[in-house]
Amino acid sequence: MNLEPHYIIVMTATIRPLGMLKTYIGELKETTVEAGQSVRETIIKIGINPDLVAGVFVNDEQQNKDYVLQDGDIVKLLAVIGGG
Amino acid sequence: MNGYGGKILRVNLTEGKITQEPIPAQLARDFIGGRGFGIYFLFKEVPKHADPLGPENKLIISTGPLSGMLAPGGGKCDWTTKSPLTGGYADASLGGHFTAEMKYAGLDTIILEGASPNPVYLFIDNDKIQLLDASSLWGKGAIDVEVELKNKYGEEFQIAAIGPGGENQVLYACINHDFGRQAGRGGVGAVMGSKKVKAIVLHGTKTVPVADMDGYRKAGMALYKACKDAEGLAEWSRYGTTVVTSWCDEVGALPTRNFSAGSFEQGSNIYGQTMRKEIVVTDKGCFGCPSPCGKYSNMKRYNTQVEGPEYETIGMMGSNLGVGDIQAVAEANRLADDLGIDSISAGGCIGWAMECYEKGIFTKADTDGLELKFGNLDAVFALIKKIAYREGKMGNLLALGTKRAAQQVGQGSEKFAIQVKGMEQSAYATHNATAMLLAYMTCDVGAHHNRSWAITYDLQVGRDKVVPEKVARIIWLQNFRPMFDVMGSCRLQWVELGIDRDLYCPLLESITGIKRTWEDLEAVGNRIWNLTRMYWARENEGFGREWDLPAPRFYTEPPKTGVTAGQITKFEDVQKLLDMYYQQRGWNSDGIPTQGTLEILNLSAMVA
Repeated sequence: MNLEPHYIIVMTATIRPLGMLKTYIGELKETTVEAGQSVRETIIKIGINPDLVAGVFVNDEQQNKDYVLQDGDIVKLLAVIGGG
Repeated sequence: MNGYGGKILRVNLTEGKITQEPIPAQLARDFIGGRGFGIYFLFKEVPKHADPLGPENKLIISTGPLSGMLAPGGGKCDWTTKSPLTGGYADASLGGHFTAEMKYAGLDTIILEGASPNPVYLFIDNDKIQLLDASSLWGKGAIDVEVELKNKYGEEFQIAAIGPGGENQVLYACINHDFGRQAGRGGVGAVMGSKKVKAIVLHGTKTVPVADMDGYRKAGMALYKACKDAEGLAEWSRYGTTVVTSWCDEVGALPTRNFSAGSFEQGSNIYGQTMRKEIVVTDKGCFGCPSPCGKYSNMKRYNTQVEGPEYETIGMMGSNLGVGDIQAVAEANRLADDLGIDSISAGGCIGWAMECYEKGIFTKADTDGLELKFGNLDAVFALIKKIAYREGKMGNLLALGTKRAAQQVGQGSEKFAIQVKGMEQSAYATHNATAMLLAYMTCDVGAHHNRSWAITYDLQVGRDKVVPEKVARIIWLQNFRPMFDVMGSCRLQWVELGIDRDLYCPLLESITGIKRTWEDLEAVGNRIWNLTRMYWARENEGFGREWDLPAPRFYTEPPKTGVTAGQITKFEDVQKLLDMYYQQRGWNSDGIPTQGTLEILNLSAMVA
């Protein structure tokens, strides 16, 4: 019998909604999500209307919402507050 | 007077006479500064029905009590005039470093009146104020002139100049400063050109008295700390207003091919992230700015540089012209800046002309041989030059703006002239965003976004909803947001960083010694809004409801592509929006403030 332990490796990314978008995650600073899905899919899952997210910044670079999250990514979400 | 330079500088260009007068305390109390001073002098001093490009019109440049002070983005002044583009009220806000130097020269307002027989520039070095010969500068680009005058007088002198567009009185000519900042809209540069003033050069070293120095330091530092601590500061600073390009494309607000759609299939080529990677060299801020939105860009293909492009130019000279190439957009931006024409209106005019060409209304015989198809870069560059120099049939036509051009051309082209009151709509497509549509319809300079911006609100409330709450939101924004242009500071720290606006009140009080809440400030904003409305009514016979209608495209032609495909605002909803707006404003059914409203606002005597 093989008694060696089995490990499940979970790839995660960190989502940090900024400003008013924090209200969608209970005013927490950040939340952890599984990697491998797009930013759009992810933010819909955590209850944020993607239309209200003006900027997606992955590791400080702006990306489209179709960007697929990689392990260890830190994602900041920026709302449009007042416009131009 | 605390918070003010203390003087109005009056330059009579016809007589070459320069005089100064003190700022009346009552004026400072009632209208505070900036565009408040602008409409006061415009209404009071410019005769009824003055020709906007004649000597009777005036160009009024005003700082505010926060200008040049310890206030984030406190480098704003306002250029007010009777617009040659619209025939109504116009003001254009200028950033950079001009405003602070103007205040330090002891000047709250500069009034240019009359018209010089020969090209001149106004030179101000504290109390040394002269009109100097500008014949060697006339004909040169605005940026070239700035370089020349900086070399002559030194880096500490700040320069605002017109390009050939202003000299040739293109009706939407702008004024350039700081190698890429503009007083952009409404044709303020054409008015300066009509007065034969090529540039203003100024420098000041005086101090500005404040009422409470300790309070001033504390309140100023509290505002800067709020900016520094704001979430999103790094991101907004890195990308500036281009943050929103991709978002506008996603939500169907990115003007595409003369606003025939709100999403652009080549959009990712002009997004902020593409621009940052491909052309941005470094960031640039205005006076006292903690969140520099300006970007210096290098266009390798053209071997040129520009400050920009920012979102509005990307929308109007990129997607709106079918141009999916950020280097080309930046080059078009550079040309427009140096030649001195507003990139928003120019983009609107070229987009309209391209649609005319594609619909067969124009042929090559009309376009001086240009193939005016959407996406044709060479045609875009050529037209910017033709407009600035009023060259050929097309250059002369488009120099008039889309409203007049469409009136001349006819053949249904009025329906896709994307303008309100004669001003080309800035870069937010409003096929299905009723609050933003109303914002454009009722803006007091024409179809401009900066008085009230409400697309996010549309998305939150429901984009096609026509409800009193949306109207109330627009009115609140119209009363509130332009107060930054009155106080003399940038609104982007509130708009983008979301800092608490209440932090401005103690700062304003410590500087001026007058306690004001935001309720007080919004009351001033409301008063100014009604006065600008009365100015439109005074200057334009038959002014009323018809003037507030949007471009017919937004209620007759749903986009065929993009996320707003098939969506439109019904004309009955357009009318309903106006009904609610007039009622909430206290205006009659034709959009004119009632006597009762004017009395409440203490404006009856002034407008009588």
